Amino acid sequence: MNRRDFFSWGTVGVAALCSAVAVSLGAVGRFLMPSVFYGPPQSFKIGDPADFPFGSPTFLVDEKIFVFRDREKGFAVASAVCTHLGCTVAYFPSDRDFHCPCHGSVFSPTGAVLHGPAPRPLNWFEVTLTRDGQLRVDKDKTVPPTYRLMV
Amino acid sequence: MKLIREIWQSIVRRDPLSTDKGKSELVFLNVWLHIHPAKVKKENLRFKHSFYLGFITFFLFIILVTTGIALMCYYRPYPPQAYQDMKDLQFAVFMGPFLRNMHRWAAHGMVVCVFLHMCRVFYTGSYKKPRQFNWVVGVLLLLLTLGLSFTGYLLPWDQLAYWAITVGTNIGSYAPLIGGQLRELLLGGHSVGEAALLRFYVLHVAVLPSLVILLTIVHFWRVRKDGGLSRPVWKLKPQKQEALVTIGAPAEAVPLHVAAASTDKTYGLMEVVTGKPIFETITPEEEEDTVFSYPYAFVREAVVLMGTVTTIMMMSLFMNAPLEEMANPAVTPNPAKAPWYFLGLQELVSHSALLGGVVAPALMVLALLAIPYFDRNPSRRPGDRKWVLWVFTLFVVANIALIIVGTFFRGPGWAWVPPWVHVVARPE
Ligand code: HEM
Ligand code: FES
Repeated sequence: MNRRDFFSWGTVGVAALCSAVAVSLGAVGRFLMPSVFYGPPQSFKIGDPADFPFGSPTFLVDEKIFVFRDREKGFAVASAVCTHLGCTVAYFPSDRDFHCPCHGSVFSPTGAVLHGPAPRPLNWFEVTLTRDGQLRVDKDKTVPPTYRLMV
Repeated sequence: MKLIREIWQSIVRRDPLSTDKGKSELVFLNVWLHIHPAKVKKENLRFKHSFYLGFITFFLFIILVTTGIALMCYYRPYPPQAYQDMKDLQFAVFMGPFLRNMHRWAAHGMVVCVFLHMCRVFYTGSYKKPRQFNWVVGVLLLLLTLGLSFTGYLLPWDQLAYWAITVGTNIGSYAPLIGGQLRELLLGGHSVGEAALLRFYVLHVAVLPSLVILLTIVHFWRVRKDGGLSRPVWKLKPQKQEALVTIGAPAEAVPLHVAAASTDKTYGLMEVVTGKPIFETITPEEEEDTVFSYPYAFVREAVVLMGTVTTIMMMSLFMNAPLEEMANPAVTPNPAKAPWYFLGLQELVSHSALLGGVVAPALMVLALLAIPYFDRNPSRRPGDRKWVLWVFTLFVVANIALIIVGTFFRGPGWAWVPPWVHVVARPE
């Protein structure tokens, strides 16, 4: 093997080694990235429309949503997760605002930011009626705050 | 008797400690002690010189490892068992609360001491040539210390833990481009749940402590290789200072004095390795300012160790680590606060998540890392570095002020509530 061969093979070798290391690191990264999520599902049934009262919204603890029911306008579902850093907001019927306990964001009845560091309005989720007459919420589908489901 | 003496000799293999040779051999024949030099400069031993803050930090870490291993025997990183195990530790396990308290207070203490140690190093200008890189290692250790605290904070799986980590990890998701994925990687899911608890546990008991140990070894090695602790050169007598201008400012042109090899040494590495030493060296006339590490340095270190352990034990007898209700994803406590050392960050975040939560801390860390490479003024004399000292003091004061505001002046809804005002929660 002459000098030139040595260096070209050497370069190939080093390149191969580097790519092997890069691939391995990528694989480790992918290994650490979860493939299966055991959290609550994004789309779920919340029950019979008749179970929900008119007026003040019903707060569903596990799903972290508010279900609004209005006599004229129908159903709407708002997210209870603050868009700032993910704390759970509370609804105050007295002024019909949402208040976040963590850094003081306040959201209007339509979810718009009135005050505080939250960068975006609260999300509203699509709510539909299943064939067996149940309400179904899909957190992957956000809708404008004017969205209503008449039952 | 002869046998016992023989066994003892086979272990220590040194001359009696009454001799100088024995004192030196104690240090350099022992794998643990030989990170020390056989002789140290007298003035470096003074408490006022370093406040032994680096040592205290290290000893707190040792306490954390030992108590942490004890706690691991009772802790399962899985909700809701994790919380039940904390309750058991608190009420059923013999000495459980005491060990838990020790772990908790040592952790807080470590955050405080690592910060104070950094301040000491800064104010004495000890990050300057040739110690630039050790400062960088130090900053990494500071970040690891905070990381350990943060990951440990989730483990009790109570309300405090759950919401502090929810808020904390959401800050990360504001990082441009990779933020969301980074959070998913850390949490192993979309929100703080069982996957997150397990990952935090792995980081807390395996990954981060190993990294701290590795970097601590490098840190200590470098303290030694950079010539021991830096000294207040300007306090030396004028003629000595003349001879030692190199210290703190080894300018290229100034020759460095090589230490005279002691008489009973047969060879010195400096005779093998050619070229100028990069570190501060001892001139023959300075030899008289040094003392043997045994017993002078070791006794002081032992006293600091015992003082640290005693303080943490006393605190643990009289103060209990908090444990709130079990984590409840549906109900955010009001106000939801991060651990105190992150409350300055939370205060910034309450103004803007991107600027306060990502940009400001990233700039702070980068600035800290860059200090030794940007501050090129070789002098360590406080009078010569006025504005650097002012800027750093401003940084320290701002950090402390933000933490005080976040801790004492923020009430429900993060509203401005001074500690002397009592608020009644607004009914829903
Ligand atoms: C886990 C954290 C740390 C441990 C256990 C640690 C430990 C130590 C110890 C034992 C010393 C020797 C003397 C003393 O007590 O001051 C020392 C010196 C030093 N440390 Fe640290 N340290 C830590 C973090 C840091 C940090 C955050 C910085 C700075 C950003 C830093 C920078 C330095 C420097 C530059 C020296 C040399 C000081 C001199 O020559 O005067 N260390 N460290
Ligand atoms: S999480 Fe709601 S204001 Fe910060």
